[in-house]
Amino acid sequence: MSAEPTNDQGVLHAGDARFVVALAALDLFPRQLNELVFRFGAEAAWHNVRAGRPGLAVPADIAQLWRHRAARVEPDRLWEAHRAHAIGVSVLGSSTYPPELIDDPEAPVVLFHRGDLDVRSGPRVAIVGTRRASTYGRDLAIEWGEALSHAGVCVVSGLALGIDGAAHIGALRGPTPPVAVVGSGLDIVYPRRNSALWHEVGKRGLLLTEHPLGGSAAAAHFPARNRILAGLADVVVVIESHEAGGSLITVAAALVRHRTVLAVPGPVHSPASHGTNALIRDGAGVACDVSDILVAVGLSEGVRRRRRETRPAPDRVGGAVLAAFGWSAARLDALAARTGLSLLDTADTLEQLVTQGWIVADHGWFERVARDRVAHERSASK
Amino acid sequence: MPLVGALGRCTVIVAAANALDAALVAEGKVRSVASLNDVVAALTSTARWPDPPAPAPTPVVTVVPPDLVEVRGHALARTALEIAAAGAHHLLMVGPPGSGKTMLARRLPGLLPSLDRSAALMATRIHSAAGEPLPSGGLITVPPIRAPHHGASAVAMVGGGSTTMRPGEISLATGGVLFLDELGEFHPSALDALRQPLEEGVVRVSRAHRAVTYPAQFLLVGAMNPCPCGFGGGPGFCRCSDSARARYHRRVSGPLLDRFDLRVDVQRPAAEELLRGAPGEPTAVVAERVAAVRALAAGRGVRANAALSGRALEHHAPLEAAAEGLLEGALRDGRLSARGFTRLRTVARTIADLDEIGGAPPGPIRREHVALALALRATLPALEGRAHVG
Repeated sequence: MSAEPTNDQGVLHAGDARFVVALAALDLFPRQLNELVFRFGAEAAWHNVRAGRPGLAVPADIAQLWRHRAARVEPDRLWEAHRAHAIGVSVLGSSTYPPELIDDPEAPVVLFHRGDLDVRSGPRVAIVGTRRASTYGRDLAIEWGEALSHAGVCVVSGLALGIDGAAHIGALRGPTPPVAVVGSGLDIVYPRRNSALWHEVGKRGLLLTEHPLGGSAAAAHFPARNRILAGLADVVVVIESHEAGGSLITVAAALVRHRTVLAVPGPVHSPASHGTNALIRDGAGVACDVSDILVAVGLSEGVRRRRRETRPAPDRVGGAVLAAFGWSAARLDALAARTGLSLLDTADTLEQLVTQGWIVADHGWFERVARDRVAHERSASK
Repeated sequence: MPLVGALGRCTVIVAAANALDAALVAEGKVRSVASLNDVVAALTSTARWPDPPAPAPTPVVTVVPPDLVEVRGHALARTALEIAAAGAHHLLMVGPPGSGKTMLARRLPGLLPSLDRSAALMATRIHSAAGEPLPSGGLITVPPIRAPHHGASAVAMVGGGSTTMRPGEISLATGGVLFLDELGEFHPSALDALRQPLEEGVVRVSRAHRAVTYPAQFLLVGAMNPCPCGFGGGPGFCRCSDSARARYHRRVSGPLLDRFDLRVDVQRPAAEELLRGAPGEPTAVVAERVAAVRALAAGRGVRANAALSGRALEHHAPLEAAAEGLLEGALRDGRLSARGFTRLRTVARTIADLDEIGGAPPGPIRREHVALALALRATLPALEGRAHVG
């Protein structure tokens, strides 16, 4: 257990930690929690809130709400629960607190973790993006996650559906385990669909959160979570983002913290790339290859590995249909119209291309893929 | 009307207003009277049977269903309609609002074979029993289309009622199309009630006093949005939250979705296609092909290819080696369930029949037929996460 707060901050004393945890359980805004702890000291702040007099400039009904919440929290019991769940607690200023966050403008007062804190000791790259990713984005996140892991770079992401989860999947295939910053307590797995991934990251990598046990996955937690993601990373890479997508919040947080932001260009008609293309227009760095990221973190890749094409070459008709895609998703009838083939012949050719690994079928649409995913899965499972 | 039809060869006395209806179905003589006094008078021979001249039948106005020629673009959906009509395969259209799902569904009855005399009598009887207006010509010969509102109750859907039994929408759609727009908005009990009739072609309605069986042989056409925002078309297009999508998808039960052999994604045609696209084939041309395929099915001893199963399917829908290889692949990578495999084979049979009309009797199913059947059985966004739907 890693709770021996030092006096570095001049405020937090040994024994304060359990009151910081208790205050964190009230689900305040990070800024409010920070102010309470550093203005009054954790123990005094706790007793004030319990009495309904937090001492901050908040409306009376908010103070009452906090008082009601505090009435249901027992600091000692909550503290013991973290010990029982083998969850590490690091308050700001303790020796286990991630040093890259200490001077963060909105440093979390306390962080909870499961897993190995040392996995983040090397260079760190955040891979973020939309939950509603296209095959293009997902494949790229997996591919780059794995390549970064092989290059000794720790991949940081948020375990969300779409790009986040794909980046974790890729990173877990390599030797350097990833870090996941989540928006709920470590006993509340969210999103459920990624629960296997969540547990795998906890086992081999590191799960981090500012929420104590029982902390819900409230929507408001995620923008705040994104600032921790940005603070942990040396470089933030956005693979796909919708216009006004959540990953743009991470980008804003990264810019405030002077982190390098790289965006991956996408087709101009793809809504999933509107956000990333806009970032590039606004001056973000461009990531077209893993080596672009490695250069940004100061590791230059000696030789670019050229991938060997393992897929059987498509025949003449297959080549024509493939060319008709133009790298964005298309439907059967659109491809038939573009190539002048009948629906039957187009369907037949598309099935051949799926079998050969050139395209994937996705909900009635077809998408071209840059590499054979099936062969890739095979080599990954070896 | 059903009562008159059941009487057989005897003289039937009906109210004057019903004389026309009765004449359609009666096998014996029909006498119409203005009042019961007339009956008494005639039977006691104090007067002659009034037998008022039957009102001149109003000119027959056949309702012409809208024509396919008016549809521009929608190549995939048009093909799906043709296959649905030819093989009696239930069809699900998924697409954003205003993409033309309803417009397409309205053109389906025109593709179906018109009702033969016994089917027309059946349809007319059901409409009469339900108190629905009959066409001016008397018999219903045009395949009906029923489009109940999504507020319809289970009773309205399958029939029933506490005092008088009334056939429901599915029986009224017999011989034609049951179109359920906004499938996700229907009450789950109303949709669940469809499952038994879909399986058996008849519906049994049991109430405290009695149980009746109504015919329910219809082509089911469903339409729904891909997700609450309606834009879940292409990969990466949807703006809904995951939980909103999950809630929306749970509204339609997997077993019902499983009944749709054809599932197509309908998108708004591009402006280009609307303005300058060539008009499609007219309904009459497509209907001719549909009739030819139905005739092939009749030669196989079924009403339509969708009814092929078991040994008949094995016998009448042989697969070429390449087609079998493609199906095996789809089964292996989980795109098809065992049930889906059988259903897909009937669809591929219909596609092959349509492909080879006019030539020699259709041969085994080829690879491209299976490929198109697979493309028309898309795992749509609305079916996401339903592993048992294949």
